[in-house]
Amino acid sequence: MDKIFLGLGVIAILSATAVVIYDRLKVKEILNNIEKMLAMTMKDGITAEHFDEGRLSKLESELGDFISRSAISAQNVKDERDKIKSLISDISHQTKTPIANLILYSELLEGMEISEDAEVNVKAIHSQAEKLRFLIDSLVKLSRLENGILELTPVNTKIGPLIANVCKQLREKAEKKEIDLKYEDTLSEAVIDEKWTSEALVNIIDNAIKYTYEGSVTVRASEYEMFTRIDVTDTGIGIPEEEHTEVFKRFYRGKAVKNEEGVGIGLHLAREIVSGEGGYIKLCSEMGKGTTFSVFLPRN
Amino acid sequence: MEILRVEDLKKTYGDGDAKVEALRGVNISVEKGEFVAIVGTSGSGKSTLLHMVGGLDRPTSGKVFIDGKEIFELKDEELTIFRRRKIGFVFQAFNLVPVLSVYENIVLPVELDGNEPDSEFVDSIIETLGLSEKRNAYPNQLSGGQQQRVAIARALVATPQVILADEPTGNLDSKTSQDVLGLLKVVGERYGQTIVMITHNEELAQAADRIIRIEDGLVVAKGVQR
Repeated sequence: MDKIFLGLGVIAILSATAVVIYDRLKVKEILNNIEKMLAMTMKDGITAEHFDEGRLSKLESELGDFISRSAISAQNVKDERDKIKSLISDISHQTKTPIANLILYSELLEGMEISEDAEVNVKAIHSQAEKLRFLIDSLVKLSRLENGILELTPVNTKIGPLIANVCKQLREKAEKKEIDLKYEDTLSEAVIDEKWTSEALVNIIDNAIKYTYEGSVTVRASEYEMFTRIDVTDTGIGIPEEEHTEVFKRFYRGKAVKNEEGVGIGLHLAREIVSGEGGYIKLCSEMGKGTTFSVFLPRN
Repeated sequence: MEILRVEDLKKTYGDGDAKVEALRGVNISVEKGEFVAIVGTSGSGKSTLLHMVGGLDRPTSGKVFIDGKEIFELKDEELTIFRRRKIGFVFQAFNLVPVLSVYENIVLPVELDGNEPDSEFVDSIIETLGLSEKRNAYPNQLSGGQQQRVAIARALVATPQVILADEPTGNLDSKTSQDVLGLLKVVGERYGQTIVMITHNEELAQAADRIIRIEDGLVVAKGVQR
């Protein structure tokens, strides 16, 4: 009799243990499945794998629904953004010819015999038209860059000739203001898109010349393990610290330089280009003494 | 979107004559994707602040919210797990495991959390940080700058809500510091990672999107948000 009870006891314990183990395994399997579902979802959306009456199958298809709904709204947002971008692009393109004509006719007028008063007005029209052209040009570039219409194609490039070329473009402007534009030759290289990097550098150096009233602008390169650094140092008015981030924002104009010509897009474009290449720009400045913009370009 | 908020944070050590008020009511807000530098001299309270934000120490009063969660409401054990999942650390000492390769060190936090590392993601990070040729090397075969790059990769792989960097270039020469910091900035932008770095080095701080200055346990300048 005792033996039978003992036997029953043992069986009861064994079966209880078996049930517990089975349950643990089942829970583990379910959790594993959920983890797998999530991993799949994060990777490339979910497609229901099992169809049965189980809760797991239900969960799977609900998750699938949720994901596809959020995918749709993400797509809508993207579509809207694309529309805006192409609108900007259209506006920029359509205004190009009329602006070119404005400049052309104002130049023709300047060549004619006109009264002194009229000459002043013609000059004003001309300079405003130039400003408009620069603005539209920059917007076209920016929208192309942001649209991915024009992609950056970084290749290994020698920095020395690039700096020389950029300085050549800006020499006349510097001479007009009697500012000494200097650069040091360098053998450094960087993995960059030459055309766009030139654009970025032109904007930075042009900016340095604009806000320097006497002294010099110096362009100098140095090498790091991961980056090639180009410093553009001016002896200009300086940028207050609270504007260090601001100056890279689109259409931002420094508070102290509101009277100076400019549209506030050059530095923004420069930053977009450089970060698109995997580099960055930082600046150090002392009020009244000058500013250094440092452009870090990736080396490999 | 705000990812980190510090509300009236105070920390006092000791009492009576030995009482030191390390933080005297600090308020900070950091947006997702921002790279913020917290600058102060030694003894300004910047390290204390970072330790509180990282949940490594509890404040005397005040609150820290990360991703909307008040972290000091959590029990110690919960806080440890929260920290592992939501916060990445980069310290002055690189803290790499010497017997593990570069790759193994980088995926360690992911594996500790019981997950499979996403090899494509890991590879892209290794590539961006210029470590492709070193992936099978051991920490003692790397330069200081390379070791810190591995530490940055390790922090990134876990995709935390925020990376806290405590004088990340304190052990490096100035040239290597600039390099490592530049990479931190570039990867932060590429992966939309929020980074809060403390440093006493003005020059390095200039690479950040925003500089917060702290003196005698108080924020004296907040900079302008992007």
